[in-house]
Amino acid sequence: MEEGLITKWLRHEGDAVSEGEAICEIETEKTTDEIQAPTSGVLLKIVRKEGKAVPVNAVIAAIGSPGDDISSIPELSAAPTLAPTPPTEELELSLERIRISPSARRLARERGIDIGKIKGTGPGRRIVAEDVLKAAEKPETPAPPQGYKSTPLMGHRKVIADRLSLSARTAVQVPITMEVDMTSASKLKADQERAGTPIPYNDLIIKAVAMSLEEFPRMNTMVLGEELRTMEEVNVGIAVGLEDDLLVPVIRNANRLSLAEISRNANNLIERARSHALTTKEMSGGTFTVSNLGMYEVDLFAPVINPPETAILGVGRIVRKPVVSGGSVVIRPMVTFTLVFDHRVVDGVLAAKFLQRVKQLLEAPEKLSA
Amino acid sequence: MVRIRQFEERLAGICARGEIPALVHTYVGEEAVAVGACSALRKEDYITSTHRGHGHCIAKGGDLRKMMAELFGKETGYCKGRGGSMHIAAPDIGIVGCTGIAGAGIPIAAGVGLSIKMRKTDQVCVSFFGDGSSNTGAFHEGMNLAALWELPVVYVLENNLYAISTPISKATRLRKLSDRAAAYGMRGVVADGMDVLSVYEAVTDAVVRARRGEGPTLLECKTYRFRGHFEGDPKMGETYRTKQEMEEWERRDAIPKLADRIVKDRKATQAELDAINQEVIKEIDDAVAFAKASASPRPEDVAKYVFVSEK
Amino acid sequence: MFGKPIAMSETRELDFAEAIREAIRQEMLRDKTVFVLGEDVGKFGGLFGCTKGFLEEFGEERVRDTPISEAAIIGSALGAAVTGMHPIAELEFMDFIGCGMDQLVNQMAKTRYMFGGSMKAPVVLRTPCGSRYPIASGAAQHCQSLEAWFMHVPGLKVATPSTPYDAKGLLISAIRGEDPVLFVEHKLLYYAKRMPSLREPYPALIQKVPEEPYLIPFGKADIKRPGEDVTVVATMMMVHKSLRVAEDLSKKGISMEVIDPRTLVPLDKLTIINSVKKTGKVAVVSEDAKTGGVAAEIAAMIMEEAFDYLDAPVRRVSALDVPIPYAPVLESTAVPQERQITEAILDLVEPK
Repeated sequence: MEEGLITKWLRHEGDAVSEGEAICEIETEKTTDEIQAPTSGVLLKIVRKEGKAVPVNAVIAAIGSPGDDISSIPELSAAPTLAPTPPTEELELSLERIRISPSARRLARERGIDIGKIKGTGPGRRIVAEDVLKAAEKPETPAPPQGYKSTPLMGHRKVIADRLSLSARTAVQVPITMEVDMTSASKLKADQERAGTPIPYNDLIIKAVAMSLEEFPRMNTMVLGEELRTMEEVNVGIAVGLEDDLLVPVIRNANRLSLAEISRNANNLIERARSHALTTKEMSGGTFTVSNLGMYEVDLFAPVINPPETAILGVGRIVRKPVVSGGSVVIRPMVTFTLVFDHRVVDGVLAAKFLQRVKQLLEAPEKLSA
Repeated sequence: MVRIRQFEERLAGICARGEIPALVHTYVGEEAVAVGACSALRKEDYITSTHRGHGHCIAKGGDLRKMMAELFGKETGYCKGRGGSMHIAAPDIGIVGCTGIAGAGIPIAAGVGLSIKMRKTDQVCVSFFGDGSSNTGAFHEGMNLAALWELPVVYVLENNLYAISTPISKATRLRKLSDRAAAYGMRGVVADGMDVLSVYEAVTDAVVRARRGEGPTLLECKTYRFRGHFEGDPKMGETYRTKQEMEEWERRDAIPKLADRIVKDRKATQAELDAINQEVIKEIDDAVAFAKASASPRPEDVAKYVFVSEK
Repeated sequence: MFGKPIAMSETRELDFAEAIREAIRQEMLRDKTVFVLGEDVGKFGGLFGCTKGFLEEFGEERVRDTPISEAAIIGSALGAAVTGMHPIAELEFMDFIGCGMDQLVNQMAKTRYMFGGSMKAPVVLRTPCGSRYPIASGAAQHCQSLEAWFMHVPGLKVATPSTPYDAKGLLISAIRGEDPVLFVEHKLLYYAKRMPSLREPYPALIQKVPEEPYLIPFGKADIKRPGEDVTVVATMMMVHKSLRVAEDLSKKGISMEVIDPRTLVPLDKLTIINSVKKTGKVAVVSEDAKTGGVAAEIAAMIMEEAFDYLDAPVRRVSALDVPIPYAPVLESTAVPQERQITEAILDLVEPK
């Protein structure tokens, strides 16, 4: 264990504590634990407050007799040192910091090589130009055929590449799959069509997702570094695939819109996406994304989470399948949903319950119109 | 002299009102030296001057507009606003340059004399400096070289008894600074710095000798500055001088002295002198207006004039 | 005309002192306003022989021995220059420049700017610098390289030639130019014809020099030896030491590019940057003390302008921050020799 999180102080500054008494609760990677007072005395000062991560061996509090001089505890000195103490030894860089020469960095950037993958042979394991050039030569996949057309990775493509790489590198992405019976939904869709207000399946799905997000706000969370922001608005993004681009326009407050409004918005946004007329505003603020490849006959797929969102729903095609119902085999229109969620933020049970709710709403779609 | 007096007094007011950024050292009280000396010179003769140089420059024929514009830091000034009060130069009227470093002009004047000699013209160079400068190494080296090579320089030592706040009694054991000339084998003389004609005669004599190739002269002019060392000097220097002394010297003011003499000798009437005064005031007004209306240098030109050529 | 001269009468070889002497002499013949002043320049012909024979040829008027008066030498040169003359003043040792600092820094350097371009100060101030190890021991007050002080004074140009060919061309440019020039001559460069022990390790100390006058522009570096693996920027005597190291290391397969800036002000940044872009590795070799020295300024410039091309930190090979010692064993430790240059290059090319 390298650090823990102080969740609750059980005693306060100025309280008398006895040896062995639990004085605070601390959460570690695996458990919640108590810290006991190592000695009896007065809890003179709490150095690390609740909600703060604490590295192992750090001072968290001082116990002693009233009037003791505790100023020698470094964490207590409030005034910053006026003169920086001269470094007696070089600062040890943490392991995550990559040492690389400016030239090597430029070469890596120009050739699109991930510097995290290069082994440095310079002083202090510094990556130097030679290392980058060697890495560039080494084929990781079998050599491609000689004839090729070269295009630089730039523009939208590069943005997508960078964002998805970031997502893949940081989020812990876990897929769970569920089949949903779309019989009732297709009936609703048919009714709507007859009434002259057609509503595509995807819009039903968006509404179901939006309502479920309201009930499971943890799924509507943004992950920003060490901060989890559970958003107040439910803004569902629709992944729209274009020829060489992937745009995600957002339907804002989807939970508060009626099916018809969602449909209208979605229609408008998708059209604008196709004609490259989306504004930045229309593509920002999303808290959850729905990606549908059903129209391309994809049965099931696990999309990559759109950072910094917590989860994404991948929708396959609706296909008539034999299923068991009431003891006999019947043909039903089934669709496979894959929810990919970030396990740092949400655990399997919650994700499953969320997906269950979406399924429930779609299998009893009158609730969608409510 | 009146021109200098009016210019400097107007400048004092401008400084007091904070209208210019400069550190300014006015020449009020010493006019007889600059005018007496420069009246003995031709346009093509040279002068080197000091931080207290407005008087010398005006006496040598300096354009009041260009001088005032320089003080206001404008592009139309003698040095395009780059030099300021202490660094005015006007090569076309022989003003080789004012310098703010005490004594620095003395070896430079020797060099000017050297140039004159090598070009075989009969020009001369007058080098103005103060009592304080006569204690510097540059004074020693410059004087020695000028005497050694018999250069056509007239070294005019304006002894106003103080170097900022240091009286000469606290700066050197010598009482008569012109005695220093003997140390270099140079001619040393004294003139009454409060009498323009005395200065004029002494400088004329030295200039004639220099033109004849008889070498340099050190001319000590005893004078006094009526105002402080710089504009802003508390009580105009009374903190290190006595009111009595200041009043004594003011009674010897060269301007009224000359005015009286002119009127007594019937060379002109008081009314005519007053008219000159008024004309001068108008000139100053015009110079100030010109300066104020002129453009400042452009910031993008800051690096101009560092070198003649970039190569 | 700049660049290589049109006609190269390459029949005779000159050493550094001879090339300088020829430059001054030709200019004095061409222009009567050019004259020489300084200590021991006349009767003695200059301490290092650069004005030998001038007194006889040009007379006392134009070849002036002065008293020991650096302030007067520099100041009078300035006074003469602003009134139409073209003086070449000599400071017998660069170490004495402190005695005339005000005239050089406050007066001469600032004349053009302070006076708004209305005056110019075409003075050439020549002065010998540097250590004479192993020929002689001048010790602390006769061996300094102080050119960094003057890189720092706006308004002064600083020339630091390393070879006879460069010296003549640069000096003529300096004399014909209209700006104050500090012309720094490393004293070990003068001697080659009189010191065979210098000629063999440093063959570029004696060169074919064209007889007719020619100009080398300021602000144009010279690639003394092209290379591919590592860039060395060196000045004055260090150029010769670097060339020797380059020759030795070439046998180990290391290709060193040696760049001689020739003038520190103005500095030819472009040539240096282009070389760094090529090699990614650079050492700046300069004889002056390391802290605040010439190499420090050039290294900072390289870091700023070629950062993305550096494959290793810029190395400085400079003297230790000590006054130049008297004992040869100490002097050769304090002042960079081939050994220190080699170490720096190897460290760049094969770092541990």
